[in-house]
Formats: sequence, C-alpha cells, structure tokens
Amino acid sequence: MKIDTEKCVGCGVCLPYCNVGAISLQDDVAVVNDKVCVECWVCYRNQVCPQDCLEPSLLTSPGDVFKHVLSDPTVTSEGTGVPGRGTEEAKTNDVTGRFSADSYGICIDMGRPGVGVYMRDVEKVAMAVAGAGVRFASPKETPLSGLMTDIRTGKICDEYLPVHVLSVIIEGICKRESLGRVLEALLKVEKEIDTVFSLGIVSLSVGDGDEPLFKTLRQHGLEKPKRGKVNVGLGKPLYKG
Amino acid sequence: MTHSLHRCGRIQEKDFVWLLYHVKGVNDQNLVERLRQAIAIIEEVGAVNWGDVKSGPIVKVSPAEIKEKLTEKSRIRGVFTSRDQVTEFLKKMKAADLGFCVIISGVLDQVFSSCEKAGVKPHTMNYSLGVFGNKKLLADEDTLAITTMCGHHMIPDDFVTETRRRVKDGKVSPEKASLEFAELCPCGIFNQERAKELLILEKENPSTSGKKG
Repeated sequence: MKIDTEKCVGCGVCLPYCNVGAISLQDDVAVVNDKVCVECWVCYRNQVCPQDCLEPSLLTSPGDVFKHVLSDPTVTSEGTGVPGRGTEEAKTNDVTGRFSADSYGICIDMGRPGVGVYMRDVEKVAMAVAGAGVRFASPKETPLSGLMTDIRTGKICDEYLPVHVLSVIIEGICKRESLGRVLEALLKVEKEIDTVFSLGIVSLSVGDGDEPLFKTLRQHGLEKPKRGKVNVGLGKPLYKG
Repeated sequence: MTHSLHRCGRIQEKDFVWLLYHVKGVNDQNLVERLRQAIAIIEEVGAVNWGDVKSGPIVKVSPAEIKEKLTEKSRIRGVFTSRDQVTEFLKKMKAADLGFCVIISGVLDQVFSSCEKAGVKPHTMNYSLGVFGNKKLLADEDTLAITTMCGHHMIPDDFVTETRRRVKDGKVSPEKASLEFAELCPCGIFNQERAKELLILEKENPSTSGKKG
C-alpha cells in the first residue's frame, strides 16, 4: 500500500486501521513501511482516508502477490481457486474423506490472532512438524505448499523467507501414533519464533470418542478443548472410502 | 475462515458461527440455486449477520444484492446468537437435503447438544487448542474477544482499542461501535450483538482490561 504524501495532511486517521502497525507519521505525513505491510488492504478497502491518499501498490514480485493473496480474504488464490488461504481442514471431510480414522489433521494458523508472521518463522515451524511426521497438504489444497521447495521437509523457497503476511496456515496430516511427537516439536519450536500461532487438531471421532486424543494432550500439558468446529455430516455424496 | 475456530473471551454461549462449503466437482452442481435455498432457511431462522466474502456482510450490503451476486465462487457463512437457532438451522438443513458441507463453530458441549436435538451426527471435528508462541505480542484479552470474531482478522487491534476508549468516554454508543466493527469483517461472521454486550460489560464490569491474551 502507498500513501500519496502530496495529498496527506497528517491527520493520522489511517493509523489504527493498519493490522500490523505498518503506517506511521513521519515529518507530519503518513508513510507505509512496505517491509511490514502485509497488503491486507483493510485501510484501502474501507476508504478510511478523508483525503483519499491510499493507493494499492503495483504487486509485481511473487512475494508481494503472495502476501496480498494470503492477507486479503476477498482475493482468490490461483492454486486453490478459492478466496483467502483456502485450506480444507475438517470443513469438507464428509465428502472428501481427507482425514481418516488412523490420522489427525494438524492446522497451525501462523501469526494469528493479529500478530502477523514472517515466512522465516513459518519455515521453522513447518520443518519442525515435518520432522515429527506431518505430511503437508498439496499446493492444490493450500497456498503455502506451493512455496515449498521440498514438501516432505517443509523447506520454503528462500525468496519468500523475508515476506511478512497477516497469517498463513500450515496444514497437514499425521498418523495418530505420531501426535505426541508433533506436539513435542510444537512446544519446542514455539520458543524459537517471534510470533504466535493458533493450533487446531482435526479428528474423525467426536466427543468422548476422542479420549485417546485428549489423553495425549494431557500428557503434554494441554487441556481438553472447549471450542471446536463441527462438520455435522450433511455433505453429499458422503465419502465412503 | 480457519480462525472462526479460535474465538476467545466472554459471552461465547451466545456466539455460533455457521459455514456452508462445497467441493469443486463433487457437490457444486446447481450451486447458486442451492445457495439461494440455504439462504432462505438462514433468513427464516434469523442470523444476526451473514454474508458472502465476495459481496460483503448484510450489515453493509443488502441480502437482495448478495443473492443477486451469487456465483460459483460464493461462500456463505454467518452467525447465530443462540443454541436454539443452531438446532432449528440444523433441522431445516437436514430436511432440505441440499448436500452442502455444514460447519458449526462454537463451545463444544453446546454445539453437540444442538446436533443431538436436530438429529445430526457430527462427522469430523477441528478442535481449538489455543495460542502458542511469543504471547507478549498479543493484544489484551478484551480486544482479542472482538478481533477474533472476524475469520480473517480484518478488524485491526488498534482500531478496537481506540474504539473501546471512545465507548468508555461516551463518544460512541456500544451499539454503534459494534456495527463499526461488523462493517470491517467482509465475510459476515462477526457477531455485533456479542460485541455490543462485551462493550457494555467492559464499561460496567471490567474483567481483564490490559491483560495480555
């Protein structure tokens, strides 16, 4: 995002509309730090500037295009064909059968809530869980995998490592017996990153049928979850395997 | 929309996100007509907010315009404010048999209770395990209770903090402030009723103002 400093009167109205603190007042005009800006376009889309100074940047580099696609939910990803970050998780499992009874889905929402994330930290977490047995979703299912030079290890193309996004999801599957190792890897790598992540686990069983999952969580000092997203099984045709 | 999983803060018992999904090539036939039928059900039940991320939420765009602009790329989602609404919605969606993948996000024992009453059997779960990493970077809990109601974090922390201050100073009403928040969320899952109650509660009974999420 750019600000027309000729028109800007330095009112500061735009500053709180920035999700990542990329806008500041310098010499009585607002300026955007383009290394921090995630191109979410909240400031522009909501027409917050009384002088109409905000202008979308021409997004030419792959990194800029990627951060805009990931950070602006009204934009459609080319790889997945859906708006936003486009991951599947449990949402359509009743018709896709993506998650089976012998696996768990791992959904690591990097940068959420509201902190933002540099891709170098995304790589750290992706490689940590890959090493613990997580297999990542394909590029057709999630935009992040399209940036990996090696989808088995989670290594991300170096060109993208300095890119700052609002959030990005690391999504994959692990065998149920590997969940403990995955949790250990996450509890270790969380101390090594300069951001946060929100963690979700996808499971075919529900309620008390997930007692083995809850036991594994307790063993790693994690509470039984109180919130969740429930796919209520109304999708048709129902996946039968 | 992953972040509809991780809402936090007070008054979650009046906050249930619903989402409809289809899979390309599997259950996307005659999509627009089926979406219109689903929207008719949603309007009967009475969602406080809903929308299509391509058009916007009903707090900003009329339902008629959203329905007119439905396409093969549309994704409809919204929010209910009671467990009874969830039960009614699930009963009607089951009866209509439209074939959409239906997701409810909320406090688990309440969602399960609605599923049981509606006669639907949960198929797959996505459990929220909370936030990890450098939590010192997080906004305070009262801000997060509001910002996490947008599935894509389109309501900036600083805007919420400033608006909460304006409410405390009497410069804007909780109702108007909650609508300002709702207008920033393009997909329609922001619960402006809950936001209003949170702002009123904060004025009358500050809980953890200033405490990091």
